[in-house]
Amino acid sequence: MRKTIDNILEKVLIILMVLMVVNVTWQVLSRYLAKWGVISQASTATEELARFLLIWLGLLGASYASGKGMHLAIDLLPQRLEGKKQQLLKRLINVLIVIFAFLAMVIGGGRLVYLTFALEQSSAAIGIPLGIVYIILPISGVLIVYYALSDIFQAD
Amino acid sequence: MEWLEILTLALTFLTLLALGVPIAYSIGLSSLCTLWVSMDSLTDFTTIAQRMGTGLDSFALLAIPFFILAGQLMNQGGIADRLIAFAKSLIGWLPGGLAHVNIIANMLFGAISGSAVASASAIGGVMHKRMVKDGYEPEMSASVNISSAVTGLIIPPSNVLIVYSLASGGASIGALFVAGYIPGFLVGLTLMVVAAYFAVKKKYPRDPIAKFSETWQAFVAALPSLLLLIIVIGGIIGGIFTATEASAIAVLYALTLSLIYKEISWQDMPKILLSSANTTAIVMILIATSMAMSWVLAFENIPQSVSEAMLAVSDNPFVVLLIINITLLVVGVFMDITPAVLIFTPIFLPVVEQMGIHPVHFGIIMVLNLCIGLTTPPVGSVLFVGSAVAKVRISQVIRPLLPMFVAMILALLLVTYIPQLSMWLPEVFGLVK
Repeated sequence: MRKTIDNILEKVLIILMVLMVVNVTWQVLSRYLAKWGVISQASTATEELARFLLIWLGLLGASYASGKGMHLAIDLLPQRLEGKKQQLLKRLINVLIVIFAFLAMVIGGGRLVYLTFALEQSSAAIGIPLGIVYIILPISGVLIVYYALSDIFQAD
Repeated sequence: MEWLEILTLALTFLTLLALGVPIAYSIGLSSLCTLWVSMDSLTDFTTIAQRMGTGLDSFALLAIPFFILAGQLMNQGGIADRLIAFAKSLIGWLPGGLAHVNIIANMLFGAISGSAVASASAIGGVMHKRMVKDGYEPEMSASVNISSAVTGLIIPPSNVLIVYSLASGGASIGALFVAGYIPGFLVGLTLMVVAAYFAVKKKYPRDPIAKFSETWQAFVAALPSLLLLIIVIGGIIGGIFTATEASAIAVLYALTLSLIYKEISWQDMPKILLSSANTTAIVMILIATSMAMSWVLAFENIPQSVSEAMLAVSDNPFVVLLIINITLLVVGVFMDITPAVLIFTPIFLPVVEQMGIHPVHFGIIMVLNLCIGLTTPPVGSVLFVGSAVAKVRISQVIRPLLPMFVAMILALLLVTYIPQLSMWLPEVFGLVK
């Protein structure tokens, strides 16, 4: 299960990265093509799309990095402890991660998505509902919670 | 009464950090707790989520993943070799030639790759063997490499400066980039002075002065890599494109270059893309939660309180800058540079701005200061990588690193108290008013 999620996340992250590069490259190019009169006007949608892609890449990537244990931390204390105590501290850290991801990202993020849909807020240039952009918050939150719980229970 | 909020924030944050909770989540959780003091829980959760989302919603931030990707594409062995050969032909004749080559190569490679850690391992990996063969003590070679590897974070393009621009609420990225040149070179220069002193004392060998034709050949070989810097910085200064657009151009250029040199093949691409996405995400989640925290700080009027408290101690810019520098040096010992910039910019910048210090100048002071922390124990990423590459223990490199620290702190003081070192170039190019 964890491996499958890792694999899917890896593919999605690679695709997001490629889309971002293509997108911004097209933005630069379109500005010059418009200036030289090859196309009628520079792309305005690309800037907005690129920003949304970054939000997705950042938050989804954060859940992937969480699963791999790659986030920056000051690990002086965990390294000092040994055996059982270290296991216990690592569990406590994961519990705290679960609390944050659940409260801020799943509950808070979920409510944010609900509110933006209810208020029918959509983006300025492309016109997609902002709820679709922000839905990545609860999705990443759930993934972070999943990885942390799986670490807590498999450590035995 | 904001002291309750300040206390909540400081206590929860420090406790979480000390326990070893990832910094991004520590920032998020302590913000969550602080806001709880003054609002109901559901509004609190939603506000934090919203600030995380909008915190990442910035076109300027897109430059970060692109510079990371360009750096990783350029981070393949061949480029390091060519830059080292070029540096050797330029300054190999100085006393302690190879130490200077290591420093200059780190400055060039660090600027191109944008990563001090990548620089310490790529340049250090090649240089260490040669320096030991030439009679340098392994600890000496490692300490030269470690201290100079951080210069790439000050010499543009630099992702840390982009992060600062965001945290400062919009200091010009172009101005920050150009402002980094003289301070970055100054750090390199002070390190070269230290290296030269030890070279004379310990009689390290030097090269004969290279023939012009050799230097020219080495330059031509290194030119395609150096051209990346010229295109990016030239493009930004000339107003041809924004930092974000320049970073996308850098990706295309780096991709073309590495495919022509056959340093990478298409099969390597998924791995490079994933690793760049991962590095990007680690920075982005820090930015997301830090933006939530800086909103909480502003909401609770915390920067004003800190500012008043500091001004009560002294309203002399000289003293205030000294206090801030000492605080940041201590912070840098424990914390990585990106989270430190994100957390302390909103707190300190209002104080120094009141004293007429330009946000661009303060950004350079801050980044240079926190760079020093990357080379110190107990948690210096560059120190770890640099020692590992040279296969020496961290306790062994501390002694030879001490004079390097002194040199870097001297450079920091010069940059702090001589604003022209940072501001002159951006003023010449009309990037600041």
